[in-house]
Amino acid sequence: MLEPLLDSRLIFVTGKGGVGKSTVTAGLARALARRGRRTLVLETDTFSAMEDLFDYESPGLEPVAINENLHASNLESEECFIATLRRFVPSERIARAVIKNRIARVFFQAAPSVNEVTILDQVRAFFEKRDDRGRTFYDHILVDLPASGHAVTFLNVPETMHGMMRGIGPIATMSRQVADLIADPKTTSIVAVCLPEEMPVNETIELADEIEKTLGRPLDMAIANMVHQPPIDSGDRPVFEQLHRRVRREHPDVESLFFDNDADKEDSTAIARLVEGNALAIGWADRDREYLNLLYDKLSAPIVEVPIMYESSGADIVDEMGKLFLDGPTSRASSSSATA
Amino acid sequence: MTPFAPTKTSADAIRGVLDDGRLIVCVGPGGVGKTTTAAALGLRAAMAGRKTIVLTIDPAKRLANSLGLQSLTNDPQKIDLDEAAVTDTTLEHISAATESKEGGELWAMMLDSEQTFNDLIDQYAPDEKALERGRENNIYRLLSSALHGMQEYMALDKLHDLYTGGYFDLVVLDTPPTKNALEFLETPGRAATFFDERIIKWFLPNRDSGLLSRVFNPGSVVLKLVSAVLGESFVQDLVEFFDTFHYLQEALQQRGEMIEFILRDPQTHFFVITSADPRRMNEAFFFHEKLANLEQKADIFIINRVIPRFSPEDIARLDDAALDAILTEEGVDDGERVRSFRKHLETHYARLAKLAMRDRDAISSLATRVGDDAIRLVPLLGEDVHNLGHLLKLSDFLTPLKALEPST
Ligand SMILES: Nc1ncnc2c1ncn2[C@@H]1O[C@H](COP(=O)(O)OP(=O)(O)OP(=O)(O)O)[C@@H](O)[C@H]1O
Ligand SMILES: Nc1ncnc2c1ncn2[C@@H]1O[C@H](COP(=O)(O)OP(=O)(O)OP(=O)(O)O)[C@@H](O)[C@H]1O
Ligand SMILES: [Mg+2]
Ligand SMILES: [Mg+2]
Repeated sequence: MLEPLLDSRLIFVTGKGGVGKSTVTAGLARALARRGRRTLVLETDTFSAMEDLFDYESPGLEPVAINENLHASNLESEECFIATLRRFVPSERIARAVIKNRIARVFFQAAPSVNEVTILDQVRAFFEKRDDRGRTFYDHILVDLPASGHAVTFLNVPETMHGMMRGIGPIATMSRQVADLIADPKTTSIVAVCLPEEMPVNETIELADEIEKTLGRPLDMAIANMVHQPPIDSGDRPVFEQLHRRVRREHPDVESLFFDNDADKEDSTAIARLVEGNALAIGWADRDREYLNLLYDKLSAPIVEVPIMYESSGADIVDEMGKLFLDGPTSRASSSSATA
Repeated sequence: MTPFAPTKTSADAIRGVLDDGRLIVCVGPGGVGKTTTAAALGLRAAMAGRKTIVLTIDPAKRLANSLGLQSLTNDPQKIDLDEAAVTDTTLEHISAATESKEGGELWAMMLDSEQTFNDLIDQYAPDEKALERGRENNIYRLLSSALHGMQEYMALDKLHDLYTGGYFDLVVLDTPPTKNALEFLETPGRAATFFDERIIKWFLPNRDSGLLSRVFNPGSVVLKLVSAVLGESFVQDLVEFFDTFHYLQEALQQRGEMIEFILRDPQTHFFVITSADPRRMNEAFFFHEKLANLEQKADIFIINRVIPRFSPEDIARLDDAALDAILTEEGVDDGERVRSFRKHLETHYARLAKLAMRDRDAISSLATRVGDDAIRLVPLLGEDVHNLGHLLKLSDFLTPLKALEPST
């Protein structure tokens, strides 16, 4: 399932807060690194997710090697801002002086898009980095985009900036380069992570259109994450429903029992709870399927389903996901896939 | 252990706020159910006889439809509550009708932050010309749609109008998805920061010493650098922008102060909505700590979408033979299929029990920090919450519709 991404040197991962962007980014990075590609993961979060997921400590902008092929860095730091500023002012000392200036500081913090521009400028710097023999240093750079705001707004900032500066000045030039990079589907991929729920699915559909319209390029992949699986095959549904009705008849309060931790856990209700719990799970799986079908219906990009995982730590979930991405099916899953 | 069944204290706390509060702010990380919870709270307050408005931000389409908010509009719309009681079929065991009191009204509106910003400018622009110039400014155009935190700011601005308008007894404020909940608290300051007097002065063409003389003023190294980085034309746009909008500074500052005053009011309550994900729990707790800056606290932590009580012990308790017998009675024919059917149910139950334990561990660790009484749990329901009946069902977990039986 990695095929659509193998030729992309730059992979932007986007999605709403909490849908699993960081976990998916880390999982994709693990899978690419296992295929022998030198992979860099960039995040932009004050509270780093990658440090937990990869179990390391970030010293700042300088990438840390998690293993031979996997590197990570956090762009949400003052260092990132200084590094960008440094390219436009004569010396690092002056760059730091600008940052220290109270008014300049307030201005840069409040001004629109400063953050986006600095992040994207550093992404570009890593993209262009070469080794001693002049070969590109990283085979893949994955960017875990911030959740707030809209992905298209974020990715379109270079274009907007270029326009705002009327094409003049160093930022305008830099913005042009980054904008061209983002618009180029041969080097760059955009991956949207979503949950199989109403809003995230609709937003992903809208996102695909907007990427097409605003950036003039397609969305490359949608990853539907945390998909609830049904406990039984669809053929066994009628029998299960009969069973469920019977349990509800014999234990009319089983549903509330199920939501109540203080209720006596009597052995006599164990079967009822088993059935009620599975009925709830079927409800979740059905609801997910409904929104997945909508996604399959409306989206032309490949869709990858990632099931909800039962591992207890984020790092373990990343490992599982890495395996899934490495070995999972290449093409879009069929909309009837429903495995126990 | 915090049960789904209400501990009387936290249910009563919510009840009390619904009865007497003037403002409920629902904050939390993205996608956890802020909008849904805000709507459910609004419904219950209205049923309790209060004139309530829910200021929603980006509601899911199906929820918006059920609230009668088909299109984006910046004006409150009244919702027909009788219909809610009638159309509800999921709540046979709860008598919603007994709860309803006279005089309550439920209103809802959907924030249009661009419109709100434009209205603000219309209201404060000194004259038509300033308005025209403003609209044409490059930076204004970017700002009105893209300034980080603009949506939050405009939500607060709208809140200011609804709160001071006098019609509503209670405003329930939904908040936009932010990278983290804390951004919300920084909001009143942020827009004002951009219009900070110091910054404006710095860019404003001064009658005596215009911008250019400042740029070439050897003392103004910083401004020179800003021009070098951003480009002269951009700096010119900025100068023009601040020149056009300096009148906003005072307005924003005044409104900011008023909003802060409202947020500090003892009848203002903060409900933190979160999921059981440890990162989100930490964020929620961090938010609670920062509320101290307003001399406030999080009244209640609503942990939404919790995996309900699947417990690993249930599997051990299970009488396999009895279950096999039932399955056979229900028509699963041969013994092999019976066992495999049972295994499927058990395996899946055990997996979900693992998820449930993950959630419960996270919840108990929050409980040790804020106390059981500050926590309410709402389970992940088996269906989307997109009509008033669903909202009513969800609200039953916040504060029960039936009167609580006296505890024995
Ligand atoms: N497929 C999955 N199955 C089970 N849990 C998952 C799955 N994917 C992610 N998670 C869990 O969901 C939570 C949120 O994931 P993550 O932090 O990656 O989301 P995010 O979108 O990056 O969030 P944020 O908005 O905070 O950046 C984490 O606890 C993570 O372990
Ligand atoms: N307890 C619940 N059980 C099942 N589904 C729920 C529950 N609470 C909310 N939902 C569903 O979860 C989705 C997200 O809810 P909602 O829109 O209220 O979140 P939000 O916090 O306002 O999101 P955002 O940060 O994007 O504004 C909706 O589809 C809603 O129907
Ligand atoms: Mg993340
Ligand atoms: Mg919302």
